[in-house]
Formats: sequence, C-alpha cells, structure tokens
Amino acid sequence: MIRQIAQRLVQAAVIVAIVAVITFILIHLAPGDPFSAVMDNPNVSEAVRQTLRVQYGLDRPLPEQFARYVSSLAHGELGWSFSHARPVREVLGSALPNTLLLMGVALVGSFTLGILIALIQVARRGSVTDHALSGISLFLFSMPDFWFVILSLLAFTYWLPIFPVGGAVDLVMHEYMGLGGRIVDRLRHLALPAITLTVLASAAVARYQRAALLDVLPADYIRTARLKGLTERQILRRHALRNALLPIITMIGLSFPALLTGAFFVEKIFAWPGMGYAVVNAIGTRDYPLVVGGVIIGSIMVTLGSLLADLLYALADPRLRGR
Amino acid sequence: MAAMTHARILCALLLCGCVGTESSSDKNTGGTLAISTGGDPDVLIPSLVQRVQAAQITDMMFDRLADIGDSLNILNDKGFTPRLADHWTWSADSLSIAFHINPKAKWHDDAPVRSNDVRFTITSTKDTTLGSPNAALLTNIDSVSTPDSATAVFWFHSRSPQQFYDAVYLLPIMPEHVWKPIPPASWRTSDAARNPIGSGQYRFVRWIPRAAVELVADTANYRGAPNLRRLIWSIAPDFQGAVTRFLTGETDFFEALRLENLPEVAKHPELSTRQYHALQYLFAQFNLRDPAHHDRPHPLFGNRELRRALTMAIDRPTLVKSVYGSFALPALGPTVRSYPTTDPNLAQIPFDLPRARQILDSLGWRVSTSDSVRRRNGRPLQFTLSVPSSSKVRVQTAVILQEQLRQAGAKMDVEQLEFPALMEKASKRAFDMTINQLNTQPSPGAVLGSWGIGGSRASSGNNSSSYENPAFDANVDSALASFDPAKRKAYFTSAYETIIQDAPAIWLAEPSPVVGYHSRLQLATLRPDAWWIHIPEWSITADKRIPRDNTPASTTVPPALPAGQKTP
Repeated sequence: MIRQIAQRLVQAAVIVAIVAVITFILIHLAPGDPFSAVMDNPNVSEAVRQTLRVQYGLDRPLPEQFARYVSSLAHGELGWSFSHARPVREVLGSALPNTLLLMGVALVGSFTLGILIALIQVARRGSVTDHALSGISLFLFSMPDFWFVILSLLAFTYWLPIFPVGGAVDLVMHEYMGLGGRIVDRLRHLALPAITLTVLASAAVARYQRAALLDVLPADYIRTARLKGLTERQILRRHALRNALLPIITMIGLSFPALLTGAFFVEKIFAWPGMGYAVVNAIGTRDYPLVVGGVIIGSIMVTLGSLLADLLYALADPRLRGR
Repeated sequence: MAAMTHARILCALLLCGCVGTESSSDKNTGGTLAISTGGDPDVLIPSLVQRVQAAQITDMMFDRLADIGDSLNILNDKGFTPRLADHWTWSADSLSIAFHINPKAKWHDDAPVRSNDVRFTITSTKDTTLGSPNAALLTNIDSVSTPDSATAVFWFHSRSPQQFYDAVYLLPIMPEHVWKPIPPASWRTSDAARNPIGSGQYRFVRWIPRAAVELVADTANYRGAPNLRRLIWSIAPDFQGAVTRFLTGETDFFEALRLENLPEVAKHPELSTRQYHALQYLFAQFNLRDPAHHDRPHPLFGNRELRRALTMAIDRPTLVKSVYGSFALPALGPTVRSYPTTDPNLAQIPFDLPRARQILDSLGWRVSTSDSVRRRNGRPLQFTLSVPSSSKVRVQTAVILQEQLRQAGAKMDVEQLEFPALMEKASKRAFDMTINQLNTQPSPGAVLGSWGIGGSRASSGNNSSSYENPAFDANVDSALASFDPAKRKAYFTSAYETIIQDAPAIWLAEPSPVVGYHSRLQLATLRPDAWWIHIPEWSITADKRIPRDNTPASTTVPPALPAGQKTP
C-alpha cells in the first residue's frame, strides 16, 4: 500500500509539473500583459508600460522568463503578484484557508444533504415526495450557477436581510468584537456562501446517489436481508447505502477541482477572499505569477484529492485493496 | 446582538482611553465612512499610482505643496490654496518659484517634512527606471534646489501659464528618508509600499487584498484633524454585490450608481444621491491607419468624408439617453464642459441620416440589392468595433451604434474582448474601431498626448487612432502658451473645431456620475477631477451616528473583550 501511495505521489508531482509548464506557456501567449490594462489613464504611456515590463523581466524571451521562474520556484518563491502588489505566496497563503473553509463546509454539507435526499427518495420511491425532490434537484442541477448565486444574495441579504452581503468578516467592526462575537461574525459571513454552494452541489450528489441506490436494491444480498426480516430502513442504511457509496467516493475526488473552480461565482459575488476568484481574476489581469502559482496549488490539491478518493475507495471496497 | 456590540465598543473606548482625546463639544468630529469600491488599489506610492482606487487612498494620506481649489484653475497660482507649502514666492522672471514648507508639517512617523523631501519627490519621479506615469508631465521642471530645510525652489525651463500647476498638482510629496534607501526599481515590491507613510490628514492602518483598505484620522496633523475618524474602502469585485452592500447599509458611499439602481435607492429614506461633473469622455475612435500595414491609410477610415458620413449617421443624444439616461450629455469633442477653455456651443457634425446616405453614395458606396450593406468595387462597407466585454456601458453603446450604422448601410461587427486583449490591439493599432473612455486632468493640454502628432508617431504614443493634423496641434500649443484666458479659450475652440470636423472619432458621451451616500453624512463639494478630495471635511453629527461611527480613532486595535464578558 505504501509503495502504491509513493508511486501515486511521484505521478502527482509529474502531473503538477506538466500542468505548471503548460499554464506558464499558455498565459504568456494570451494577448496583453499585466501592464496593458490602464488605457483610460492618458498619463500611462507605452513608454511607462515598457519600463514596468523591464522592471519585472517581462521583456526577456519566454524561455529565459521560464528559467527564472523555475529558479525562484526552487527557492520556494512563487513570484510577485502584480494585481495584489505582494508576493504570490502571501496572496495564496491568505486565500487558501478561506477557500478550504468554504469548500470543506460545502463539501461535507452537500454530500450529507445529497445522500439524505437520495435516501428519502429511495425509501419513498414512486411517491409524490420522490417526484418532487427529483424535480427540485433537476432544477437546481440545471440552473446557471451565477444566477442562483445572485438570487441567493438578493433574497437573503436584501429582500430578507438575514445574512451579511459579503466578505469573510465584518471589516468595520470585527476587530472591535470579543472572541465570541468574532466567531459568530465569521459564521454569519460563511453561512450564505456555504449554503449556496451546498445547495448547488447537493443536487448532483442526490441524483447520483439515488441512481446508485436503485442499482443495488435488486441485488441478491438485499433480497436476503429482506428475507431475514430486516426493515426497509435497516436494509437501506446497513446494506444498500454502504454499497451505493462507491460511486459517491469517486465523486468526492472529482469534486475537488469542481469546488475549487466552481466557487468562482460564489467568491466573486459574495466577495469571499478565496482562491477561485483570485486566480480567475488573475487570468483577466494577466497576473502571470499568480495564475501559475494558483494552478500549482490547485493541481496539488486535485491530485491529492484524487489520491484520497482512491484510498477511500480501497477502504470501502475490499476487492480493490490488493490492486 | 447589535446592542451587545455597541456596548463592547463603548467599553473598548474606555479601555484604550480614546474618549478623552476627542473633543465632546465638537459635534461633527467622529464617525466612520465605509466606501464601496470595485477593486484593490494598484500601489500606494503616489508617484506610481495608476488606478482610481489608489488615487483616492493616497490623496488622503499624502499632501501636495498646494491644492488646486474647486475652480480647477490652472493659470498661474490663482485659486490654489496652501498645503505643505504655507506660502510661495515667484522670481522676477517667473522661471522659479520658492515654496516655503509649513514648519508644523510632519510625516506620520513624526519626522518633519523638509525641502529635501520635495526635491527627492521630483527627482525620483523623473528617474526613468522608476516608471512613473507622471514623469512625462514634469518636463518643464528643470530642477529643485533647497537653499534651506524649509525652502524648495522649483526651476523651470521656460515660463508657462501652467507651471505652478505642473509643480504642485501632479505629485503629492513623499518622504525621502523612507524611499531614498530603496532602489527605484524595487519600490513596488518593498515593505515601505505596503506600509506607506504620508503627511496627509489620514494615516494608513491596513490593506487586506480583495477585502479592504483602512485609514484613520491623523489627529495631530498640521492642518488639523479631519472630521471623520475612520475611512474604509470595502472591496466588492462584483457590481451587484457592491450595490447591495450600499443598499443594506453595510457601506455608506457608492461612487458609481447606474440608472437601474436609482429606483431601489429611492426606496430607502436613509439614502441620498448626488450627481457631479466628472472629467471623462467616451468616444468611438476610428483607426486612420491600415491595421496590417501602418504605413498605409486605413482602407475605409483613411477617408475623412467617410468618417464624417458615419458620424452624421449617429443620433448621439438618443444614444446617450438610452445608455445613460440623465447621467451623461453628448460629448462635445476631446474635452469636457468643466474646462473653462471649453465652449459649450462648439459646432458639431449634425445627426442627418439622409445627408449621410448622400455622402456615402457620392463616395461610391452604393446599397447592394442582395442585402442592405453598401459596396464599392465589390467591397462591402463592413468593419469591426472592438469593445471590452467587462464594460456594460460600452457593450450597450456598441449595439446601438451597430443599429444606427446599419440604417446608413454600414455593417459593423461587434467584437467583445477581454480588457488586456483589447489593450494589446489598441497599443499595436491593430483595430478598425474601438470605444474608449478617457479620464482627463484639470489641464486640457493632455489632449495632445491622445490626439496630437507626437502621440501618433511615437511608437510609445497614446494616439492609437493615428490622427494627425498640424493645425490642431498648433492651436493647442498656442492655447497652452497663452496667458490670456480669452485667447486661450479661442485657440482651444479652434483646435476642437478642427478635430471635430476631421472626425477621427465619434464623440459619444460626457458622463456625469451619480454617487449614493447615507444621509447621515454631510458631504462637501464633489470636485470633477477627484470627488474624494474633500472627504476630510465630510462629517456626521453626533446625534446621527450608528455603532460603527463610535469605534476608536486609533491606529492600534483596542483589546477585544473575552467572550461572554459583560460590559458596563
């Protein structure tokens, strides 16, 4: 097992390196650069922009820029973020905990809610409840993310002002609150983005889980369980759910990249200072070091997430442990 | 919860002893202003600022030698008021001005402001390795000498009507002792850039990227303490998010309300709006050179009469009303109405669709029978307008332009691009048409950079239309050299009329933005070049304050109470 994990880690390192190289080349080939975005200021001439390019080495040939980047990477430096005016390490260092917090809550919430909905649907399959929940999950699944997020914002911050509009904390008052107040403040700001993401992601989980449960229900061991006199609830919980969780474990692994990038709209609209918005915005502003740094961190998380899913899969399915 | 928080703040006030520092008799002193803004500042070093957010913040932290005043006069020193310089003296030949530094002026680290700081600011800004956008605007300043620590003498190459403006408007003064030890090329990445030290009425507290920038009042400032004790720029990258923050009361001020936001603002009695004139104009510019071969004229827009005909096909008042409502007026030309040198009755190319069609017919562009697009020698009258996809206003304007030009028989394709991609096209002059907006300065002379021959021929020039007319340049030069306001205006009028008739662009709109603010705020004048410049004079009377107005005016955060501890 340890040897397999080591092999997977080596594979992951190679994948991360390839992704970083491709990202570096592609973002540099995109039209424009970090200093081409201030055209409405007549003072900022092309000469000024050229001076800035020289200062940051962007006038050098691409292979040289790449060599310099790799060299700084070897020293543990991810470069300087043009759009945040600080080191990339610092930008991602402050964004990553926020993303992990939001993603972690949304991941746990969406899988818990999705599995719960699927269990209710399967327990009452064919009923009005089943059809209603199917309809709702299909509606949420097919709804454009950005529209749902804006609707959530308006509904729960403006029309029904339960939650704060955005940010990770109340920037005006947070520092003046006691410890309890600060925790409550953080939770209040986390609640709406997390609920929004949870609801969006749980729709897919519920649909997959329902289908997986329906697949295992005709199996012989379920019939045996029924013959042994177990109740339908016991059968679902002890036998069907356990076996139907395998595709969901795969889904957890696949959810890492989706949650990292899929949170873009949530982070932007709720002004949540996480990685998704920082990196996507960096693409628009051609903040090369931040894009590449973000992609490196993101791909490390994705490959580790995939590895974690494989390990969970092996734990859940004894047939895979020897492979 | 709110009451509890309020009580904790009161307790914190008592704990840090800040209550005593504030005069209780002054009803207007105190309060917090939270401003909704769309992005981070680019840098907090005055000589390197490019983005408007950075200008707003640095203008609060750094002082100039003198302030231009609300009249925005740029001739000589009329209307300018003392700031770091408490008075100044002109030499007999007007080739030098001696500024006397206010002896009470101090940096936020308590070091006194000296004449060396003034000299350092000018010399470092002119240093080409720094890459300051203002360097090119200081060409008339030869040097700064410092006969003593309280006197900075500016020496000019030539006498000019706006030499005083050149010396004081462009640059807030920076502390030499902070910046001199750092090589100019490393300024942006230095620690000093992230903990700026100024001499203005507000001090820097913190900058949390993508979240907020916070300043507090410098209560010991040589100009006196400002009324509002805390300023917070609350960053919300999404427009809807930023507006909602304002509407729900999380922020107090929003600088760029759109037409569709007004009904919602009107539902809140605690919110108010105010319109002001900004120094901005929007235009659709033609590329006069062939995008593929810059040595040749553009196959379509190289022809002046064609450009005039297309301009004549645009109903600008209708377009402006559709896009902006009452938030803008049709632009007069490459200028704004706030300039005293702008004649509001400048002759325009009128909207006259039948005449536009006649001109196009006479140029050989005939309507095809197969479609409604005009053709000449088999070539359709077809071109592409490039706009940034991020600008709702420009995309809307493009759609209306497309429809109005279609009625004249021209087929305009609209290409929406990411902003950097569009800028790349503009700087390489590889476009047919673009919609652009310029934010100008109090001096109308900036028009030469955008529309003059120098800006066209220099590879680093900003005249991306490649418009060239010596008569235009000559009139602007004469205007800038004239000390007589009447003659100055006459020269500018002549220059504007020349460029309007040459039609290198369709002058679309002159926006008058509407700001939204919480009614407890008492605003001062919103100046066209910088609405924020009078923030130190804004106030909130004691009886209208809300909990966040009562946080201490201290650069250090007070100790938080332990969780659950009861407040007095």
